[in-house]
Amino acid sequence: MPAADAMTSHEAARQIARRRRRAWSCSLAIHGLLLCGGFLFLFPLAWMISTSLKPLDQTMRMPPQWIPDPIQWKNYLEAVRYIPFFTYARNTLVIAVLGTLGTILSSAIVAYGFARIEWKGRDKVFLVLLATMMVPFPVTMVPMYAVFRELHWIGTYRPLWVPAWFGASAFNVFLLRQFFMTIPRDLSDAACIDGCSELGIFWRVVAPLSRPALAVIALFHFLYCWNDFLGPLIYLINQDTFTLALGLQFYQSRQGGTPWNLLMAASTLVVTPIIALFFFTQRTFIQGITMSGLKG
Amino acid sequence: MLPAVSRPVFAFGAGCLALLVCGCQVLVPQSQDEYVNGRIRITYWEKWTGFEGEAIKRVVDHFNQIQDRIYVDLITMSQIDQKALIAIAGGDPPDLVGLWSSGLPSFAEKQALMPLAPFMEKAGMSRDDFIKVYIDVNCYRGELYGLPTTPATTALHWNKRMFREAGLDPDRPPRTLAELDEMAAKLTKYDGQGHLVQLGFSPAEPGWWPWGWGFWFGGQLFKDDEIAFDSPENLAAFRWIASYTNRYGAEELRRFQSGFSGNFASPQNAFFSERVAMVMQGVWLANFIHQYAPKLEWAAAPFPSAAPGMENVTIADCDSISIPVGAHHPDEAFEFIRYLCSQEGLEMLCMAQQKFTPLKNVSPAFVENHPNEYIRLFIDLASSPNACHTPDLSIWFEYSDEITAAFDMVLFGLDTPEHAVAQVQQRVSAIWKRAKESIERREKAEGKVAR
Amino acid sequence: MTNRERRNLRNGLLFILPWVAGFAAFIAYPLGASIYFSLCDYSVLKAPIYIGGANYQELATDPIFWESMGNTLFFAMLFLPLSTGLAISLALLLNTGVRGMAAYRTIFFLPSLTPMVASGILWMWMLNGEYGVVNHALNYLLRPFGVEAPTWLQSTTWAKPAIVLMSLWGVGYAVVIYLAALQDVPLQLYEAADLDGARWHSKVRHITLPLLSPAIFFNVVMGLITALQIFALPYVLTNGAGGPGRSTTFYAMYLYNCAFRYLRMGYACAMAWILFLIILGLTLVIHRASRRHVFYAGG
Repeated sequence: MPAADAMTSHEAARQIARRRRRAWSCSLAIHGLLLCGGFLFLFPLAWMISTSLKPLDQTMRMPPQWIPDPIQWKNYLEAVRYIPFFTYARNTLVIAVLGTLGTILSSAIVAYGFARIEWKGRDKVFLVLLATMMVPFPVTMVPMYAVFRELHWIGTYRPLWVPAWFGASAFNVFLLRQFFMTIPRDLSDAACIDGCSELGIFWRVVAPLSRPALAVIALFHFLYCWNDFLGPLIYLINQDTFTLALGLQFYQSRQGGTPWNLLMAASTLVVTPIIALFFFTQRTFIQGITMSGLKG
Repeated sequence: MLPAVSRPVFAFGAGCLALLVCGCQVLVPQSQDEYVNGRIRITYWEKWTGFEGEAIKRVVDHFNQIQDRIYVDLITMSQIDQKALIAIAGGDPPDLVGLWSSGLPSFAEKQALMPLAPFMEKAGMSRDDFIKVYIDVNCYRGELYGLPTTPATTALHWNKRMFREAGLDPDRPPRTLAELDEMAAKLTKYDGQGHLVQLGFSPAEPGWWPWGWGFWFGGQLFKDDEIAFDSPENLAAFRWIASYTNRYGAEELRRFQSGFSGNFASPQNAFFSERVAMVMQGVWLANFIHQYAPKLEWAAAPFPSAAPGMENVTIADCDSISIPVGAHHPDEAFEFIRYLCSQEGLEMLCMAQQKFTPLKNVSPAFVENHPNEYIRLFIDLASSPNACHTPDLSIWFEYSDEITAAFDMVLFGLDTPEHAVAQVQQRVSAIWKRAKESIERREKAEGKVAR
Repeated sequence: MTNRERRNLRNGLLFILPWVAGFAAFIAYPLGASIYFSLCDYSVLKAPIYIGGANYQELATDPIFWESMGNTLFFAMLFLPLSTGLAISLALLLNTGVRGMAAYRTIFFLPSLTPMVASGILWMWMLNGEYGVVNHALNYLLRPFGVEAPTWLQSTTWAKPAIVLMSLWGVGYAVVIYLAALQDVPLQLYEAADLDGARWHSKVRHITLPLLSPAIFFNVVMGLITALQIFALPYVLTNGAGGPGRSTTFYAMYLYNCAFRYLRMGYACAMAWILFLIILGLTLVIHRASRRHVFYAGG
């Protein structure tokens, strides 16, 4: 304080001007870096869209041509005709929606059990759950296939969405548990005093507060189902039941030559709904992560 | 004591339940039916997409038309080896599966495919109807496990215009490997900065058969039930590969090479864009040339060998069709194979895929109307006594992967041919020893059970 | 146990019932089976034959096993610090309250939404030594110095860094988490530091990073688990070959090939359990280290 008093008004004005200039140049530098980063990140996607509009013989031309000439919109029409695109999209949607619903319900219930109730051995069992995330998938593929074969579920969609209803996603349970732990005890204690059962507390108090976190795991699981390739490859047999991720494989041919422009067009179409979904649920999504207590 | 729920939540829950029920019933594929319109339904998994897929579809549709007992359901599968493996192991395989001939031994050794000899006998088909090498490649320990559908052989393809430019006779291909090296040197050009702009030849272009070069030196891969990689012939082959690295520089070759990866089916293909003058390629190349480089002046001839007196060496492989163990309708499945592998069926399929047929008998119209100008060459090469193929070895993939790694190391100048070859021999021998133990162990265990 | 404890136990178990119910079929059996298979000679097509620890013994002398382990560790050690640094830097930049933050956030997150097949192929092109756009740009900068851009995926030295580069593209997911965490740092701390005349870098070092440490811990553990299991990307790029010359043969890819290409599922299961132990071990090490370095604001 004495230092500030000692400053003359002239010096104070200069200091303010300096701060304002620094703020400006700071802001400029930040924008510059972000633009650079944004450009680098968008670059491949832009390239994908650019290629999707090119005629095949131009796709590999060097030096790279950004705006295709002519712009071949019909690539998109051909791409959706090359494979039964909309059928596959519908199939993928069914699996994704069913799986996402299951994941929301079961992960929430299971996470609640791990987060809000104190019971003997809880943390040890939770460690077991965490440990299951660390086993590489190829080795569980064959026994899982055997299980589903016994259940006669091979060739149906069930192996792809039923496990989600059993809290099979350890990651989602983990996330939700972290989140539930940040909800103040007083709220559930108050409900307890009002005579609520545990289930009641869950349904009435905790679940409504968790909407953002639930949105997060819903989005993650939906995304996972949308892009999942290995699961459908192994469990689906009939071609009409295939999903988009599997369908994308069909554009690639060993010796038949890959129609790169069609593949890129199809990929753009596959990515777009997800991007739109993310764009519209962004705020809830970010809110969910913010409140998930990952930071503390 | 269910918690009270508000109306929208209830509606939402009801909606979900409905969707659940739907997901369990309606959208579950129903077509696991045995019979379709009174016909026996057999499933046929094939790997082909695009125009190759169209080709087999035409044959299947025709078969379904000309008879009414059997209905063949053609399903295009990606990752067909893996898919077939899991399905066969799981006990519900398709009735027919189209694998690559190189993958047959490992499946056959594990008794995952049905031997076709009994079926062929009943149907009156004979092995001798087919070109010998394609039967050999589908055999494991003398038993036939698949029939060839679309065969291929490899040959030297060269660019006539570039030959002329370099002062070479465009109609005279190299007759020995030494000649090839000489001509390659004449066909190689550099730019002002010392970078390659044109290459006469490279063993890495296209680099699809890194395990095969030994054949042109008289080498073998597997002899007398032992790994035979470390032989003077194979070593000579690797030395020849290393000679290209030494002559043109590993880094430079790599840089030049990298421009071609992923570019096979495009005008930027090394051969189509006239940046490489000579390549070893297969019978399918003509089709791609017509599509992507119609103005290319090219010709084909047998790839020259280094071993004196060894003529018409080629690599022969094919796509096969097999009946997995556990198929529901093997007899009906073989009916289709019999049609597919008849002269009519094969000519329909192979013409559409622009290859030749694996049959000894070929209709003159097939050869005349074939779009590949050099189809006669490829057919003759298949019958050559020096037509080589992948060995009858259940650990072929491990062997091939080791050779590929060694090839890369030698090509990049990261290893000497001697060391690379010795290492492959040593490693693969160990793998083979272990595999033989495993086979013995299994036979003993099964012997015990059978008793 | 008191009545209350018993009731809690009952309720707790009831709540985790879905997981427990699925546990037997979806977790215990596959995991148990794979442990058993690791002690067997099992080719998937034939019944497993018990051979004790022979698979593990063979792994110890398998040169490809060691090479793939080395490749994977190299990848993880290169990727984790770079992705953490990049993600935190981007989050810090985004947290400065610049305009259009939502748009930037979406842009950085987008790549993690693309299917692997498409992004793999895309990058394969872009990193092509001759005609890829990346080298096109790099050569503009490097040629004047007489240096050539590397041939990335065709080079044994540069293939792994190329894969690191491609994986960094998916860093948006971590950025989002850091950003959310950053927004929770109490402003008073920054203001107090301002009063003491702190510059921005010491603010970052002494306030931001410590408060960010739980998020860093979470992301590093998750990142480690995924990095050590990297499979889909190199598989799509090299079509399962792991080339050139085995430089991109990663652990999970070798495991997969052993199981489905070489038909040695028992061997692959042994590899899987070794990897599991490694991941578990490393996670515990990080957890122990976190006690000293991770600071939970809530106390």
